[in-house]
Amino acid sequence: MSSMLAFLQRMADYWPQVLSGLGNTVLLAVIVTITGLLGGILVFYLSLSANRVCRRLTEAYISFFIGTPLIVLLFLMYYGLPQWGVQMSPLTVSIIGFTMNVSAYNARYLATAYRGLDPDELQAARAQGFSDGQVFRLITLPQVMRLSVPALSNQAILNVKDSSVAFLIQYTEFFAQMQDLAVRSFRFFDAYLVAGAVYLLLVSLVVLAARHLERRYVLPGTRRREP
Amino acid sequence: MPLLTVRNLIMTYEGRNALDGVDFDLAEGELKVVMGPSGSGKSTLLRCLNRLATPTSGQVIFQGEDILRPDTDVRALRQRIGFVFQHFALYRHLTALQNVTLGLRKLRGMSAAEADERARQELRRMNMVEHERKYPSQLSGGQKQRVAIARALAMDPAVLFFDEPTSALDPLMAREVVNILQQLRRDGVSMLCVTHDLYLARAVGGRLLFLDQGRILLEGNAEDLFGEHADPRVRAFFRQEREERAPTEAAP
Repeated sequence: MSSMLAFLQRMADYWPQVLSGLGNTVLLAVIVTITGLLGGILVFYLSLSANRVCRRLTEAYISFFIGTPLIVLLFLMYYGLPQWGVQMSPLTVSIIGFTMNVSAYNARYLATAYRGLDPDELQAARAQGFSDGQVFRLITLPQVMRLSVPALSNQAILNVKDSSVAFLIQYTEFFAQMQDLAVRSFRFFDAYLVAGAVYLLLVSLVVLAARHLERRYVLPGTRRREP
Repeated sequence: MPLLTVRNLIMTYEGRNALDGVDFDLAEGELKVVMGPSGSGKSTLLRCLNRLATPTSGQVIFQGEDILRPDTDVRALRQRIGFVFQHFALYRHLTALQNVTLGLRKLRGMSAAEADERARQELRRMNMVEHERKYPSQLSGGQKQRVAIARALAMDPAVLFFDEPTSALDPLMAREVVNILQQLRRDGVSMLCVTHDLYLARAVGGRLLFLDQGRILLEGNAEDLFGEHADPRVRAFFRQEREERAPTEAAP
């Protein structure tokens, strides 16, 4: 217990470093949650295309990124691309890699929810004279997004946790700083325990926000109302 | 000149003719009811007329315009045709009021206030204005159908299409919808209604078309067709429908 206190004391001494790491973690997680959501919507939209080739390519994209570990993609871009003269900062590589990966997952969630929509409603919208784009924007997307709140917020949680992978391509996020602290203090157990606790705290914040969103945007009639 | 003229309409689907040369006219302010057994092509007919389905050949003149031409503005055409579905097809993420205003705002470019006012007029006409804030899941089947009719009417369509408007409803709610059809008929709304429901066909008046295997077998007033007609297919259909409907037909 006292050793933990000593470690926390030491962590406090390095607080600017720890805090900047935490800031980088939150920065990456927030950016890729937003870009991944937008990317997911785009990929989902393309997956509904009337063009068969476009649908096939989209499905291939989704399968490829769900089937490939993110770290391979990150290493490929960060350590592999400089061989061809393309050099990007760790943050840039992380944003691109995460966005491509998270978009694939989000698109799959949205596509799953799409199967639960009532085809009559979509036909009714076309019969009213809405264009395909309007049907997507006004009917499909609002319903699919609401049905997907649990899956999408789960992805946001994964984004917070997985951002630690960026440590392996020199992005100085929270875990990288804790690792640094562990090596300097030789308090490995304490350092990783604290790191885990902090991630848990961050995730709890996301969970609270997700619950709020879910309550607010639940599709009427899809869940039993409170008695 | 009739509002709608259909000539020799053929729609081939999976190697057989879902519509096999349909001819009929619909005059301004008229109600026509299309009856026929399942698979006779009733729903396909409606969907060909607003181009949700594409007929193989034939001619459809709507408001003096040949709507099967390739350069037809399909979206503009659909906005002139109100379509009421069997399963209501209300947008479930929107309230009753929003269901009606969506088209007004996004297709007619009305402001929110204008659209609300116009929508409330139609909801009031359908006796649904006090439910305007409810979501479809909070409405009964009959109420949903009334909102769906208000949604169609709000766009000031030249004609209303009904696709089996009562078949997802219990007899009591079906009567509600029949009353609305009668009211709209008195208001001079042009309507084309496809149905299986003998009670509806008889109660709303209007001309009856009997569709079988993609062809209009005969056309006449309800009273003529409900008697012992010469054509055995029509007789068999009506007899069978009467038997199925027997318990509710017994009621006054």
